[in-house]
Amino acid sequence: MAFKVPRSVVVIDFEFIATTGERPIPVCMVAHELRSGQHWRLWQGQFGPAPPYPTGPDVLVVAFYASAEFGCYRALGWPMPSCILDLYIEFRNLTNGRRPPCGVGLVGALAYYGLDTIGAAEKDAMRELVMGGGPWSEAERTAILDYCESDVCALERLLPVMLPQIDIPRALLRGRYMAAAAVMEFNGTPIDVPTLQMLREQWTGIQDVLIAAVDRDYGVFDGRTFKADRFERFLQHQNTPWARLESGRLDLGDGTFRQASKSYPIIAPLRELRSALSDLRLNDLAVGQDGRNRTILSAFRSKTGRNQPSNSKYIFGPAVWLRSLIKPPQDHGIAYVDWSQQEFGIAAALSGDINMQSAYQSGDPYLTFAKQAHAVPADATKATHGPQRELFKQCVLGVQYGMTAGALALRIGQPAIVARNLLQAYGETYRKFRVWSDAAVDTAMLTGSLNTVFGWRVHVGESANPRSLRNFPMQANGAEMLRLACCLGIERGIEICAPVHDAVLICAPLDRLEADIGGMRAAMTKAAGIVLNGFELHTDATVIRYPDRYSDPRGRMMWNQVMSLISRHREAQKPAA
Amino acid sequence: MATEAPRLVEIADPFANLDNLRLSQDFSETCGVKKLLTTVPVRKPHKQEFVRVHPDPGYRDNFPAIDLKDDRELYIVARTVQAELATECVPATLFTAINRQGVIFLWPVRLPGPDGKQNEWWRSAAEAAALAMTQWIRMQAKMELGAYEISTATGTLPEPPWPDLPFNELLKIAFRDRVISSLDHPVVARLRGL
Repeated sequence: MAFKVPRSVVVIDFEFIATTGERPIPVCMVAHELRSGQHWRLWQGQFGPAPPYPTGPDVLVVAFYASAEFGCYRALGWPMPSCILDLYIEFRNLTNGRRPPCGVGLVGALAYYGLDTIGAAEKDAMRELVMGGGPWSEAERTAILDYCESDVCALERLLPVMLPQIDIPRALLRGRYMAAAAVMEFNGTPIDVPTLQMLREQWTGIQDVLIAAVDRDYGVFDGRTFKADRFERFLQHQNTPWARLESGRLDLGDGTFRQASKSYPIIAPLRELRSALSDLRLNDLAVGQDGRNRTILSAFRSKTGRNQPSNSKYIFGPAVWLRSLIKPPQDHGIAYVDWSQQEFGIAAALSGDINMQSAYQSGDPYLTFAKQAHAVPADATKATHGPQRELFKQCVLGVQYGMTAGALALRIGQPAIVARNLLQAYGETYRKFRVWSDAAVDTAMLTGSLNTVFGWRVHVGESANPRSLRNFPMQANGAEMLRLACCLGIERGIEICAPVHDAVLICAPLDRLEADIGGMRAAMTKAAGIVLNGFELHTDATVIRYPDRYSDPRGRMMWNQVMSLISRHREAQKPAA
Repeated sequence: MATEAPRLVEIADPFANLDNLRLSQDFSETCGVKKLLTTVPVRKPHKQEFVRVHPDPGYRDNFPAIDLKDDRELYIVARTVQAELATECVPATLFTAINRQGVIFLWPVRLPGPDGKQNEWWRSAAEAAALAMTQWIRMQAKMELGAYEISTATGTLPEPPWPDLPFNELLKIAFRDRVISSLDHPVVARLRGL
């Protein structure tokens, strides 16, 4: 893209009230236009229908973590700018994989470049003053505006120092996403608030009966205590393999339970229960007065550039059964639209491995892989060769995460030699991919970094993890794809409520739902084509219309169990007639 | 406060041609790394491994060799000293072979001596090597048979990834310190009880 020198460069910062689950309420804003030297200081009530400074495609807006600023834009009804430079994102990109000595916040970035910083303590005090919600005295208003302006001044100092290191055209693409992220945060995900309220009230009371109900099939709890020896006996009885620690004891980490749940569905309810008992903080789920789950998406927070919202505040955190709280508002529907086998498709496209590409395009890459490896006949189907397909599926999924033969053997419940043979078949069938994947790690180790098609970069830090580096092109280009799809979807006017790894949740009035699903799928197809240089990824959509609720199959049993117990518990609490 | 989402679609799109922004993901092109072959074992196939033999005649040749059975080491004898070591030397064909794990090795197969006599072990090994040029084979010693028993893989296995190095380079790596080019060589001294 030919990037023209902008007519105007505006550095902005807002102070706003951000109550849990609620939309931001702008308190004040300061903007400096760098060419003319003009300054604006606006307080609540002075904002107007559009920014007071120049706007348009040839105006560059500079901010630090811009989705916060553009959440305020959205709250004010201001049109979003099209050229956004987010110095937070660019600082993340310049230091991703390293540990800047003072963190990645504004103070951290200033300190990194040896520039003056404002004291962190002062920031906290001022934030508290803003978050207090007012009313503010004249002196406090001035102090808040001065504080807001001090951040703008800090950005002015930071911009010229960072600018030579920034790849501007691609930085603008990242900035574009921050506008989309702001809109998604503003939209939020519709929640069944009465049921959430009921769950919050009853959760403590039903825990013992819930444990008893789930444990009926396992016999591994003693009261509220999970007993490892009983679990070991259960595993022996079920003939289920399980990972062990070096000490020889069972690995009872959640990651192990999560992996095991995928291979052995019988483990899933137990994992959900354990997770609910240890991690569930229902009161942390951020739901606003309008019944929407809303929290900061923490865009670009992970090394791969994926969003990293708070697990406890975001409805798409790890407790999948809680996702049944998602329910479209009256006369609305929601759709969960995802790319099928996104990571396999990315690997196929970017590596240029023809076998892998044809496996993806077949619609069933797992069975096609088995056919390509001559493990099943050419006319095999999921029905005729289900178990073999499952083995090859687990191999594909395992390879994506750099799984070793030992770990794959545990996952498939087969001797290590079966796992080794599967991994060998993968390497031989997708030889070009293997060479490309090795070259990715070599590139990272030789040059000190890896980047995506649009320049999101990870640096090889002190403790390089070859497995993460190997996986980076799939994960990080997947993140690029999702960001681009979100931009395209939002710009088409689709109400995207939440980005979820390789999917989005959208909401629309029933009479527009189908059209918006089509629009979203088109946006996702287009995004995939752009990232993968023309290679097309398939999408799937799960549609839920009011009064139905969203349901993740992995958590359905747990949800039904909890709801049934709450119902009985409430009945029991009713006074006798 | 506004409730209607502002449509960005009305704004001129500065990202109209994203293809121009794509960076290459061809890592082998941007930063090539070549695996170096630094070890080439000289041995016959293990009894459990499936192997292939390079079908190109340029990847095999006959050599006079001395087999130190106690040390399980094979030495090549230079032509300059071959006549002096005629009684200790045996002729062998060195085939370039590879197993399913991608390990390249040189497979020595005995040729008949000056008397032209052949035995079943040598003959069956040579037959196995010839078969391995077109299919994956396994070779196991059968004492009761007095020869190697040859099995072929019945499944469809991929063709082996042969190295780019020419045969003489493979030989150099395999025999870098195992060429007898003078009668002062320690192997000669040992064979002569010196």
